[in-house]
Parts: sequence; C-alpha cells; structure tokens
Amino acid sequence: MSDTATAHHDDGHLSLNNDNKKLLMWLFLGSDCMFFGTLISTHLIYRKIYPESFDPTSLFSLELTSFSTFILLMSSFLMALAVSAMHKGELKSFRRNVLGVIFFGLIFLGCQVYEFAHFVHEGLTLSTNTFGSTFYMMTGTHGVHVAIGVFWLICMYFYSHTGKMDAHESAVDVEIAGLYWHFVDIVWIVIFTAVYLIEFI
Amino acid sequence: MSDVHYAPLPVSTKSHKDSETDKYHTFVNLALCLAAITGVELVLVYLPFNATFIFTVLLTLSLFKFVAVIAWFMHLLYDKLLLTLAFGTGMAIATGTFVALGSLISRSNVDLDAITAF
Repeated sequence: MSDTATAHHDDGHLSLNNDNKKLLMWLFLGSDCMFFGTLISTHLIYRKIYPESFDPTSLFSLELTSFSTFILLMSSFLMALAVSAMHKGELKSFRRNVLGVIFFGLIFLGCQVYEFAHFVHEGLTLSTNTFGSTFYMMTGTHGVHVAIGVFWLICMYFYSHTGKMDAHESAVDVEIAGLYWHFVDIVWIVIFTAVYLIEFI
Repeated sequence: MSDVHYAPLPVSTKSHKDSETDKYHTFVNLALCLAAITGVELVLVYLPFNATFIFTVLLTLSLFKFVAVIAWFMHLLYDKLLLTLAFGTGMAIATGTFVALGSLISRSNVDLDAITAF
C-alpha cells in the first residue's frame, strides 16, 4: 500500500511540476506577445504618421522573405515531429528532427543577416529615419529570439547524447522548447504580413 | 486497508503511439497547408485586385496560419483551458494596445506633431 501511495504521490508530484512548467512557459509567451505587439504597433503607427518618409518596396525582396517564412514554417513542422518523437520515446528520431530545426533556424538567421547587410548597404540604418529604427528594432528582436531558440536546441541536442535524457522525464522539457520555437514562428507570420506584404498592396 | 477499492483507470481505445501517429498525419497536412498559404499570399500581392480585398484576404490567411500553429503545433487544442487563458490574456492585451493606438492615430482631431515631438 505504501509503495502504491508513494507511486501515486510521485506521479502526482511529477504531473504538477510538469503542468507548472508548461503554465509558466505559456505565461511567458503571453507576456512576449505584449512585447512584440508593442513593437509591431509602433512600427505600423509610425508608417501611418510618416508614410512618405521611406518607400521600402524598392528595398524589400518578397521572394527572400517568403523563403524565410517557408523555412520557419517547416522548422515548426520538424519541431512538432521532434516533440512527438520524444513522447514516443524515439530518441534517434528526436535528434534527427532537432538537427533539422537547428539547420532551418540557422538558414533563417543567415537570410536575416543578408537582408540587414543589403539594407545597410542601400543606406537604411537604425538611425536613418523612423522606419529604420522601428524596422530594425522589431525584426532584430525577433532575430535574437530565433538565435536564443537555436542555442537552446543545440544545448538540448548535446544533452540528449549524455544519456541523462529519458522519454518520460524530458518530454515536457522538449515540449517547452517546442512552444518557444513555435511562438517565434507565429510572431514571424504576423511580421511577414503586417510589415512586408502590406507594403506591396 | 485491504477493503479499499480503486476505480479502474480509463482504458483508451487508442494507444499512445497510435495517437502520436494520428498527430503525425495532422502535422504533415498542416505543414503542406501552411506552405501553400504562404505561396498564395506571395502571389496575391502582385495581382491587380482591389487593395481592400487583398488586405482582407491577407489578414484572414495570416490569422488562419497563426491560429493553426497555436492549436496544432503548440498542442493548445489538446491542452488545458488554463493554458489558453494564460496565453489569451497576453494576446488580448497586445491586440487591444494595437487597436487602441491605431484608432487614436486615425482620428483627425489628434495633434500628431505634439505626439511625435518626443
């Protein structure tokens, strides 16, 4: 009886901890939503106040940005598969999918660095005008989030080789990393439409 | 103590692995759908349609992508309501801030110079 009670207690305790971890992550993502909401609002409002200050259509490459969006969406897909693999206890599949996410994340960052370098070369810097300030601030913050996500997943990948990662205990940790990565993706979905596509209408 | 009877655990008709396999198919379909929508968005902005129409369609497609990733990839559809509330609160505040600022700036009697002087 005592063994059963302990097992029940342990399971309950574990479940509570895991639930708390997920709740904390969702609360953090909610607060990050407000953060990005403010950055995107600021950019759009300054575009409305100073519509003539800058015409980004000559600078933006929709093909490149669409490619970046596609890459990030596919990385989200792989992340979902990685979480699913961890729930099934398939560590090899988890590693393969996480490597894919890391690779796609690095491609996205590479595209962003290329885009920024191109914009700076064309004369748009952080201090050129309000468009430059709000644009770099917003997309740069998003890029930092992606970089943190990539770093997190690299750590997780190497941790999976230490032998300390087991399917039951670590599935929630992987799921939390996945939540963060998907959030980075949904923020980009908004930025892609509200900042890039809108300019071409 | 031996008289204590425990209720039997609910037996799921599907195993955990079957459920994950179902999710796999959902994820593949969703990924294809999201990629197709991104392609449609890209083509749409170059088409000679009414700007309001294009704007509305882009907004709807973007909203669909946003909700789809949250619901399926982020598992919010399968998770507890509390998590939806935790995220929804942040989302509601962010959207509210955007709508409030947008409507404030849209008013013709607002002194924009005074606001932007800072």
